Amino acid sequence: MGKTVTIVRNVMEANERRAAKLKDYFAEKHVLCLNLMSSPGAGKTTLLERTLADLAGEFKMAVIEGDLQTDNDARRVAATGAQAVQVNTEGGCHLDGSMIQDAIEELDMDGVDILFIENVGNLVCPAEFNLGEDHKITILSVAEGDDKPEKYPLMFHLSSVMLLNKTDLLPYVDFNVDTASAHARKLNKDIEIFPVAARKADGLAAWYDWLRKARAAKLAAK
Amino acid sequence: MHELSLIESMLSIIREERDKHHMKRIERVRVVNGALSGAVTDALAFGWECLTQEGDLKGVKLDIVDAPLQVVCGSCGKPFTPEDAHYMPCPACGEILGHDIKSGRELYIDEIEADIDDEPTVAEDAPTIGE
Repeated sequence: MGKTVTIVRNVMEANERRAAKLKDYFAEKHVLCLNLMSSPGAGKTTLLERTLADLAGEFKMAVIEGDLQTDNDARRVAATGAQAVQVNTEGGCHLDGSMIQDAIEELDMDGVDILFIENVGNLVCPAEFNLGEDHKITILSVAEGDDKPEKYPLMFHLSSVMLLNKTDLLPYVDFNVDTASAHARKLNKDIEIFPVAARKADGLAAWYDWLRKARAAKLAAK
Repeated sequence: MHELSLIESMLSIIREERDKHHMKRIERVRVVNGALSGAVTDALAFGWECLTQEGDLKGVKLDIVDAPLQVVCGSCGKPFTPEDAHYMPCPACGEILGHDIKSGRELYIDEIEADIDDEPTVAEDAPTIGE
């Protein structure tokens, strides 16, 4: 009775199409787009506040803030003078391509050098959804434990950079930087690892140098 | 964790294919889920059950085929199937880093089993009269 029709269509195809469009858009505009991901509370917003303030004279930067609720984070980063737009996912565990398309409509992207997307705090789902970004960046705070790259591998596998944040807490927590780094490199041998304490503005120079290099590479791709 | 939104994407693909192939009643849908897709088979099955309780796709069966992980060694180039998705020593040279993942990330709708109208009753481009 029933006939079988072969389909073979990727369940994520709608998002992949949007991500490809966004990637083209960022290429055309020469915007370096970075997707910042971490658990809730790892320090994404504090790192952004520092970065936006410290590099304000060097780059024009904009931020898309993803959270389930509230515009607290958009207010925090906007206080540095950068353009910011808040996306509330209303319970959704990740940002997807259509949310980024909508958010970009609200930003003035002319002359923007770097667009930061602060994803929903979640060490799992955001890694599955491409947003057309040039790089994924994972922030892991030392209070979370050095076994997290091993337990939540995909995000570390796909990221160009792992920032180990809150290193000022190292004397108080059982976190071995070498262990965490080894786990991350086992998944992704090219991952760049920068230990920082964003709240204390410590170790940020290496991160800023990486940003300058990534921005230069994006411009060179013109 | 986001399996419900994956099911929603699947349902919209299924509706598109249903219209394209003039399917009447859909019996079952087969999905291939790779070991590294990030979607948990049990959660997909549960999400499917929730979202097909009512509506135009009520009662359609979902078969989920788990697809194994296949990689090519980053050092010696030997293809192999790791036993563990996270620790993957190459059986030939022992390398654990830098393998190229050939399959295991996929999540796709493979096929749909349905009653199909071979000759659609009303062609979409049929001329309309009296308008």
